[in-house]
Amino acid sequence: MKNLRIAHIAEAAIWLSLALLLFVNSFDFNQEIEIYKYGASAWPRALLLLIVVAAIGQLFGQWLRGESQGSEMLGKASDDGAELAAELSDHNNPKWLLWTFLIMTIPFFYMNVPGIVGDLLSLEKAGLNHVKLLTATVLLGIFLLAIRGNHIGGMLTLPLLFGAFLQDFGFYFTAPFFILGTMYLMGERRWKNMVMIGALIMGIMLALFVSLLYVGLPTGIISPFYEFGTSIVNLLQ
Amino acid sequence: MDTLTNFINGTIALFGDPLGILIFLGGVIGGMLFGAIPGVSMLTLAAILLPFTAHLSPEHGIMLFSVIYCTGVYGGAITAILFNIPGAPENAPTAFDGYPMTQKGQAGKAVGAAVTCSAIGGTVSAVIMMIATAPIAGWAISAFGPPEIFALVFFGLAVASSVGAKTFWKGWLSILLGLLIAVVGLDPVGGIERWDFGMPYLLAGIHFIPTILGFFAVSEVFVQVEKKARGSYSAPKVSVDFPSLAELFAQKIAVIRSIVIGFFCGILPGIGATLAAFMGYNEAVRWSKDSKEFGTGKMEGVVSSETANNAATGAAMIPLLALGLPGGALTAMMVAVFQMHDMEPGPLVFLNSADLVWVVFSAMFFANLSILLIGFLETKTIINLLRIPFQFLAPLILLLATIGAYAVRGLPIDIVVMFIAGIVGFFLRRSGYSVAGIVLGLILGKIGEQTFAQAMQMLHFEWSGFFSRPIAITLIIAGMLTLLNSIYSSFFKKST
Repeated sequence: MKNLRIAHIAEAAIWLSLALLLFVNSFDFNQEIEIYKYGASAWPRALLLLIVVAAIGQLFGQWLRGESQGSEMLGKASDDGAELAAELSDHNNPKWLLWTFLIMTIPFFYMNVPGIVGDLLSLEKAGLNHVKLLTATVLLGIFLLAIRGNHIGGMLTLPLLFGAFLQDFGFYFTAPFFILGTMYLMGERRWKNMVMIGALIMGIMLALFVSLLYVGLPTGIISPFYEFGTSIVNLLQ
Repeated sequence: MDTLTNFINGTIALFGDPLGILIFLGGVIGGMLFGAIPGVSMLTLAAILLPFTAHLSPEHGIMLFSVIYCTGVYGGAITAILFNIPGAPENAPTAFDGYPMTQKGQAGKAVGAAVTCSAIGGTVSAVIMMIATAPIAGWAISAFGPPEIFALVFFGLAVASSVGAKTFWKGWLSILLGLLIAVVGLDPVGGIERWDFGMPYLLAGIHFIPTILGFFAVSEVFVQVEKKARGSYSAPKVSVDFPSLAELFAQKIAVIRSIVIGFFCGILPGIGATLAAFMGYNEAVRWSKDSKEFGTGKMEGVVSSETANNAATGAAMIPLLALGLPGGALTAMMVAVFQMHDMEPGPLVFLNSADLVWVVFSAMFFANLSILLIGFLETKTIINLLRIPFQFLAPLILLLATIGAYAVRGLPIDIVVMFIAGIVGFFLRRSGYSVAGIVLGLILGKIGEQTFAQAMQMLHFEWSGFFSRPIAITLIIAGMLTLLNSIYSSFFKKST
């Protein structure tokens, strides 16, 4: 095995699987173009080939020399501390990674489950909204339980969850929770400060983007969140 | 003489327009602050501002970014010197001698040297940029066709992969990932859908703005969350002293050497200003007779690193404006600004929008000069800003990024794409990959494929046709040699 570690093999496996998946998918658009004999798939496939070469090259380099390949100065110049932070916090272990990835799937459930349930039960809009509300509540509960002891996983997922809820529940309702949640996950526990600074941030956002620049942020779709969002917009504009 | 006239006209255009002045000042101060505050960088600011530049004129948009570039690479020097916390990677080597100077009670002098040398390095670089860019662009207009542009993109990516990340393979894989992302959507020749996985959103391709915001603003927040260790800083009392003329004159060799190194690093695609600072510092140590004194508080260390990183800024604009080739993350974002206004950077910009170019050049010149003035005024403010805990800054950055991503097209899915890019960026960064490389690949991917297709059609699909075009073949061979050398070094060369 020389200098090779499991992480190196996993890294190469990820690149190679990505290349394989995309290669298989490239048959979908493997069409000829009249004026261009290489067609639509030549360029992407050339890139995939290069990825395979680079992934194997990297693995070979790691086998030969471990992490010490490349110049020390380039290593220092391109170091942003992210690797060291991961190492120090012991977040490279498979258990943590698996846990974190599972947490990160929660928002995707919200993006897909209500639609599927709605189709199955042939629900109208009002019924679908109820399913969305219920799904959101359940997933939020699971999220809060799952991030106990894994605040980084929570921090990675919270923005995605915010993004997933945004369209249905609106920016104006979800953003304050997002602000407070971010502060909490980053270790802030002084509630008074959190509320005061959260209100300040929200105030700046609303004054700048809604009152001044007229950016139309999502008001939400589901009642009563929609009414809440539009009333704030009406108040500010 | 032409250059001088153009410069004067550019200056009048810049300062004769109240909105221009406002944007200029905003860029100068914003760049400096974001450069200085640990945990955010000028790239965070640039990414957050990127979507909103759609509402500015291209002139103002590019000018804003170039000003942020100049003051952003200086901003982190103050915190590097006073607290041993470089605000941004460009200033990391400044801390090697800057902080020991603070410990010896010479903080004022160190900050003064950093301010002065940043301004000198940047201004000289801006002047060379003004003189050199137009002739190169003029030559490129007649000499560059699709084969040459493709060859240039290839050469640029080859160099960027070699000097853009921790190892050559990680640099190259980062760029290839960016190139792959650029493939998603319609192909540039026949309009055939590629890798859309049946999702209508992917038909139009993955938009570069949510991606850039995710990679630079969001992933930065995530990395900071993992770093966590962000205590409060005890601010030493500091007054800024100008180094005396005699002291400055004694550093002349270091300044000149760093300008040359910085300029060279800036012109090459890769990690520009950061590499410049490290190389400037390294060469200073190598040339010095008393190299053992470095790291103990030697002013030459601060001078070498700060001159070099600012000298890289003007140089980086030459390939961007004269040839359309961005070399790093910030210049890649400038390409995005051009694209949002349906413009392509490159030699034609000189013909079609000479005003824009000269406003940008003047702005960069004055931004570097303003480091002198604002650098002295701002130092104390920056020390106070360090007291803002990151947990209060993080939601602000994330919300600004959210609004920015949404404002581009009004699609909530863009926000989700941005956060996914942030997560991907976070995991790639902690494995040593370069998000700047991905963005460079993303921005250059479309241009690369398009010019490759045009070149092959032009050459009737005869690859040998490249040999009849000296510039194209030279660039391709140079790119190949760079790649081969990097591959060889990654396997067999001892670490240096």
